Amino acid sequence: MYKNLYSYPFLETAYQGKPYYKLEELYDYVTSEGYEKHVINHLDRNLYTSLNEHVRDNLIFLRETGLPSHKQEQFNFSNLNKLFNRDILNTNELAVSYLDRIEKFDYLVDPDVLNEIILCDSNVLASETLSKRRPYNLQILDISKINKNRHLEYVKLLDNTDNFSNLTYGLSRFPNVIVFPNGSKERFYKNPIKIKYANSSDEPILECNTTIIDVQYDTSVKIKESIQTRAGQMNYTTYIVRENSTLEIERNSNDFGGWSLFDSRFICHPGSTVKIKFKNTGSSYTQENFYFKISSDVNVELIGRNNIFKGNEYHQFVRVRSVDHDNRSIVDIKNVGDEHARTSFVGKYEINSTSIGFDGQMDNRNLMLSPTANMHTRPILDIYTKEIACTHGCTISNVDKDQLYYLQSKGFDKHSAKSLLIDSFLC
Amino acid sequence: MLKLKNYSVENVLENIDIEFDTGKTYVIMGPNGVGKSTLIHSIMGRPDLEVSGDLTFMGSDISELPVDQRARLGMYVAFQAPTSIPGLSNFQMIKQALNLKGSELAEHLAKFRDTTEKFNLPKDWDKRNVNTDASGGEKKKNELIQLSLLNKKLAMLDEPDSGLDVDGVKSLVSFLNEWRTQHNTLIVVTHYDRLIYDLNPDAVIVLKKDGVDIGDTDLARRIFSNGFDNV
Repeated sequence: MYKNLYSYPFLETAYQGKPYYKLEELYDYVTSEGYEKHVINHLDRNLYTSLNEHVRDNLIFLRETGLPSHKQEQFNFSNLNKLFNRDILNTNELAVSYLDRIEKFDYLVDPDVLNEIILCDSNVLASETLSKRRPYNLQILDISKINKNRHLEYVKLLDNTDNFSNLTYGLSRFPNVIVFPNGSKERFYKNPIKIKYANSSDEPILECNTTIIDVQYDTSVKIKESIQTRAGQMNYTTYIVRENSTLEIERNSNDFGGWSLFDSRFICHPGSTVKIKFKNTGSSYTQENFYFKISSDVNVELIGRNNIFKGNEYHQFVRVRSVDHDNRSIVDIKNVGDEHARTSFVGKYEINSTSIGFDGQMDNRNLMLSPTANMHTRPILDIYTKEIACTHGCTISNVDKDQLYYLQSKGFDKHSAKSLLIDSFLC
Repeated sequence: MLKLKNYSVENVLENIDIEFDTGKTYVIMGPNGVGKSTLIHSIMGRPDLEVSGDLTFMGSDISELPVDQRARLGMYVAFQAPTSIPGLSNFQMIKQALNLKGSELAEHLAKFRDTTEKFNLPKDWDKRNVNTDASGGEKKKNELIQLSLLNKKLAMLDEPDSGLDVDGVKSLVSFLNEWRTQHNTLIVVTHYDRLIYDLNPDAVIVLKKDGVDIGDTDLARRIFSNGFDNV
């Protein structure tokens, strides 16, 4: 990532040899004019010219917009100062090559695992089964190797945004593209693809992945995603779900001691279905954003169950932007916050004037188990047409005393009853 | 089995003296709002009720015990309006409560399904969530299924007939006749004459704010003829 892409001596000079860098300092560096010159001078222009024009444009845009602020609704309740002050670089580790790291962290590569793709610091490690099987083989591409038409489409999708995606894109060595081919209804549904987002180190480094997952026409795909953040990780994944295709995702994010930002963008073409189920335990800082742009006759389900405890943080922004008719959406997020957990949910339906027949239901239920936990929820409905059905319900409550008494009266001690109620809540 | 002496529930009941013997059946009656439900939930130990006086169960003072410990001693309350718990299935609750494993688990599941069938409940009742998406009558039946599986010595049923159809009441009586033995005690809160006559209780207790009247089934008959005020 930037330790490869950016000049270490430059950074060293800029920050007087401090052993650790912060995200804010890195941002200052990559959006500086010095960096821009460095990118132009040092990178292999033959291979990366077109791509890096976009990276550069993105970083210039980022320089203008700045890092996200609390004033932006998706970061309204998040703890950005904590994030900006994370240590992200251990200079002593710089000499270790990527492959050395992979060997050191052999948990990343398991030769017996089938149908698995590991995304690690913009590198892709795929099981052999995925590249050998025909005719339904996956295409795993970096953006420089694909044909011009597709290239332009993909680059356009990675356009400027006003969130962390710019930085993730700018700090990724190159975006990877995974293409699920036309007409495959069973191959990738019966045997789900596992995608693991992993760090190559547990040192305080930052690694980034920018990925495009393109589900072609009339295709059904199931993906099991696992987010394993041992260090800092920023992921920006764009899912294209084309006409009459189905994408189902099961995402599990567990606390491995690191922190993460995950921006998921979904471009849903007419007649497509997207179903996402995710679970989170939070981390020292986790921000997970879902952006849906849905055209017509699209079905979107987002079901989240998050159990956040200790001092972990979990912040989430969900935006469903409906631009055409007869779309359906369910957003159902439940969070449990215990001890010093800190969580936030901001959910937004943006329904434009041509989006007649939209049927949406947004629920965010929060169970706050400790007075020291900090939980926020905010639903936003931004609707420009009358012919829709849209409901929302957002609550923060403690364990229901009646339910607790009911279970205790059946013989459960208080602790067991409470834990049973938490499990039931997250079911 | 259960003894209340100078028993009061703050702002509801005062100086209640009642003794419930092993192997007997009791019906509790009383006008609306007098505190019948409050009485049985206070005996069960509902934490928000302030009580005073003596409360002994099988010879031991239980007044300081929390709800779950009373339940584990063998006390059971069937709720008038059972609480729903979405996400927890009916049999999962029984399984967790009894910590069932292996052959015991299979035995209890078979018994659960057998009782479910007797009460004419849907076949997938074991997988349905506790008191969720169920009718009033189905919830009442569910309370009885729990009673049949949880090995209790004292059952306190709060209006178990309300919400039940004619066949449901027949199943209720048949179930209770099967459940009650010389080793356990049944207390039923009800306003329903047919249930009282069918159960033929050993005593009918009429609850008042400041005490109780105790009689037999004739007392219930007189109440049904003349009302609470004229008995």
